[in-house]
Amino acid sequence: MGNLKRTVMVLVLLLSSLALMAETNSLSFPKLTGRVVDQVGLLDKNVARELETKLQAHETASKNQVVVVILKDLQEISIEEYAYQLGRTWGIGQKGENNGVIMLVVPSVRKVRIEVGYGLEGTLTDALSNNIIQTVILPLFRTGNFEKGIAEGTEAIIQVLGGQYQFNTPKKQTEEPPPWWFIFFLPLIFLRRFVGRGFYGYHGHHGGSHRGGGGFSGGGGSFGGGGASGGW
Amino acid sequence: MEISILTRWKASPVVTSSLLIILLTLPWLSGCGINNIPTYDEQAKATWAQVENQYQRRADLVPNLVATVKGYAAHEKDTLMAVTEARAKVGSIQLGKDVLNNPQLLQKFQAAQGELSSALQRLMVVVERYPDLKANQNFLALQSQLEGTENRISVARRDFIQSVGKYNTEIRTFPGRIWHSILYSDMPIRENYEATSQDAESAPVVNFDG
Repeated sequence: MGNLKRTVMVLVLLLSSLALMAETNSLSFPKLTGRVVDQVGLLDKNVARELETKLQAHETASKNQVVVVILKDLQEISIEEYAYQLGRTWGIGQKGENNGVIMLVVPSVRKVRIEVGYGLEGTLTDALSNNIIQTVILPLFRTGNFEKGIAEGTEAIIQVLGGQYQFNTPKKQTEEPPPWWFIFFLPLIFLRRFVGRGFYGYHGHHGGSHRGGGGFSGGGGSFGGGGASGGW
Repeated sequence: MEISILTRWKASPVVTSSLLIILLTLPWLSGCGINNIPTYDEQAKATWAQVENQYQRRADLVPNLVATVKGYAAHEKDTLMAVTEARAKVGSIQLGKDVLNNPQLLQKFQAAQGELSSALQRLMVVVERYPDLKANQNFLALQSQLEGTENRISVARRDFIQSVGKYNTEIRTFPGRIWHSILYSDMPIRENYEATSQDAESAPVVNFDG
């Protein structure tokens, strides 16, 4: 009798631990292969590359990490629930600054969301995110123009974020030509590029089609549900 | 007298050696979870602060929202009144520092927030009947802020539930159980009360038919 009880207990324990494991692993996230992650193949390669370059330039200028994700399916949860967990898992945005933004498009359920990291909630407010979705993205999506919708939506996000950036540093400076001593650094930059390419070539980063500037990874930013969603 | 104490100290190698052992094992102890319970306790408190914070943010939105809706839909008095009253009730609950150790107060707080949620939901349904209001930029901004805040609330609550779960698990399982009985017996298992109120919040949507 005592033996039976014990085996039952052990079984229950085992099962519950299995259930726990299943619960924690229930959500799967795509691999962060670059600033543009396209699971569906919605974007043309060139469009994706262009987008990636733009996002990379924005990050260099402002440290904000903006990522575009086109997801196959939501695994039966809401887009809001998925988006912040994706952002936390990837750690989009710099650690401590939490300045990440994710544009999440899920064609299978016809939903789009702009998920905003804690640190940018004041700049890219819910109202602005909603405005971008309703007035820029959705009208294009509704006519089936996904590439343009995503590109213009991303552009709008960058514009909103850039508004703050320009406020900090006067616009004049960015328009000035590079100073004459810049020429001394040019070889260095090319050298770095060359070395960098060699490095990534060796380590077989060829898999992802959109890898922009090579190894991109999240800076450890966090999300708390800011942003807006919409459907078409 | 002093001398005798000193000699006693010197004369007891047991004391010195046990002190040494304690000193030597201190780093090892922190590695095996002696600090986990207070750490998780702090995390639970921090995530709770975020929950309160987001609820406050919603409460702050309400007066503006009510004023805007009133301008277009003044004769939806009942709905507007319900929102205002629920907002006042939420504001009247004072949460002290020790709120996490006061399940009754927490439940009261949760119930009041739930009432505000359902009142707001009803308001947002009523609003559908006023196209002019729905075209108002100010209202659209407020509406998206409210949606965003509701979403933040659910994220904050999920984080809180998770952190309380972690804290409780630490107390209930080995080796946290031992540390709890030796050092932290004053830190109780916390009620993860929010699970019960979850359905209370979504229920009002169903029975609303306009």
